[in-house]
Amino acid sequence: MTDPVPRPAPQADRDSVPFWEGVEAGELRVQQCDACGRLRWPPREICGRCRSTASTWRALSGAGRIDSWIVAHQVFHPAFADSVPYTVLQVAVDEQPDIQMIGLYEGEGEPAFGMAVRAVFVRGSNGAMLVHWTPSPG
Amino acid sequence: MAAMQGFRDRVAIAGIGYTEFSKNSKVSTLTLATRAIAAAVADAGLEMDDVDGLATHRVGDSALPATVVHALGLRDPKWLLDLFGGGSASHSVVGQAALAIAAGVADTVVCYRAINARSEFRMGGTGRPLVDAAETQYQAPYGYMAPPQQFAMMARAHMEKYGTTAEQLGAVAVTQRGHAAMNERAMMRHPITLDDYLASRWIVEPFRLFDCCLETDVAVALVLTSAERARDLQRPSVLIRGIAWGGGFTLYSSDRPDSTRSAAADLAPRLFEQAGVGPRDIDVAELYDCFTYSVLVQLEDYGFCKKGEGGPFFESGATALGGSIPVNTHGGFLSEGYAHGLNHIAEAVSQLRGSAADRQVEGAEIALSTSQPGYIAGNTSALILRRAP
Repeated sequence: MTDPVPRPAPQADRDSVPFWEGVEAGELRVQQCDACGRLRWPPREICGRCRSTASTWRALSGAGRIDSWIVAHQVFHPAFADSVPYTVLQVAVDEQPDIQMIGLYEGEGEPAFGMAVRAVFVRGSNGAMLVHWTPSPG
Repeated sequence: MAAMQGFRDRVAIAGIGYTEFSKNSKVSTLTLATRAIAAAVADAGLEMDDVDGLATHRVGDSALPATVVHALGLRDPKWLLDLFGGGSASHSVVGQAALAIAAGVADTVVCYRAINARSEFRMGGTGRPLVDAAETQYQAPYGYMAPPQQFAMMARAHMEKYGTTAEQLGAVAVTQRGHAAMNERAMMRHPITLDDYLASRWIVEPFRLFDCCLETDVAVALVLTSAERARDLQRPSVLIRGIAWGGGFTLYSSDRPDSTRSAAADLAPRLFEQAGVGPRDIDVAELYDCFTYSVLVQLEDYGFCKKGEGGPFFESGATALGGSIPVNTHGGFLSEGYAHGLNHIAEAVSQLRGSAADRQVEGAEIALSTSQPGYIAGNTSALILRRAP
């Protein structure tokens, strides 16, 4: 299906280029603080726990759990006019559940709180690679 | 005595002014602003030339103070504030104006918010770039870009964790509509039932149409001056008893412990301590109600009921006129209209003046009014007001 107008593509800022390069490569990359080990996302220079500015990009497993979800009916952007209703998840990643990511749900049944999901990488009609989430048994 | 306690009761809200609440004002935000300001100054019994400060908040959608000051012909303003922010900033503007007056920087400051939020710049709507580009990149590509979606996400988590029901969300919509029926300013005054609520169309599950506030063209203005000066003016004085600012959560927080908890839970103890009162002393509460759920989470996080019990508490009738803590007596954003927060403060002032007519909370002496509780904007603010003794 083609969208009536292109969907908004991710517009990387000067902090987030490595994240989106990771998504393009099929990896969910976040920063890990070199000093205290805390993971952080979205990207930025400083660790909010120990204030170190040294960090290393690390690939997550892509496993997470559903923290919440919505089913969009109202069209807020014309690119999604032919896609409603669609389900958007807020996913807490397994490695550090206070990192929560937004993404589309790729599944058959109703989402549920705490349901295990994994990241899948989907190229949209606008050419941008995005992170969707699909149920992950076990 | 802590510094903020020394600030208690030193500044008054001496005048309130409104334009009509409508879906199409047919005038500019500058005109809305000057109309509401003129109404508020007249309500206070002051002259326009008494005004020496202006303050507003905007998200790139309204006339800025430097423009309004010239439109009104105000010479040599002593203090202007143009704060970036939406519903989390409304009470912050008033608090900062009060600090400016208490510090002696200005004598009489008008706080205003003027928006054509239906006919020109719809919140989170299409037709203009979203303002927070940094965060948008992680959301908009997935069709997640509008406040109803973001608050629905939080509401769903609360429903899952605490068993909050659609009927409890509906009780907020139905009760506030009942209040609006007694408010001649309100845009939506015909009563609705719980069945009407449940039958209304989905906007974004779990929110139906009646969970969402009204997109509104309106301006509201408040005149602030020293408590000492306000005593000599024509209206009963309403004093700023406490003001607090707080943080909040965004996707950037990366440390949100729980989607069911708002930043009001952190702010509330500080606010009550400053004011020297507790939740049980509040006679009337005008709580930020961009969506029904926002009311429930604030009832919990401001301590009116236990965490997780906002739904049953609201359903009990405690928050209706005649209940133990009437909430959103004007109908709120859901039914009076969406002035982004200042209409909540103006309603609290009317209640404390005893001028709220059919919807008057008898003997109201202390009111709480709140802004967006730091759920999606990363900051929040709230006020406690009292009738002057």
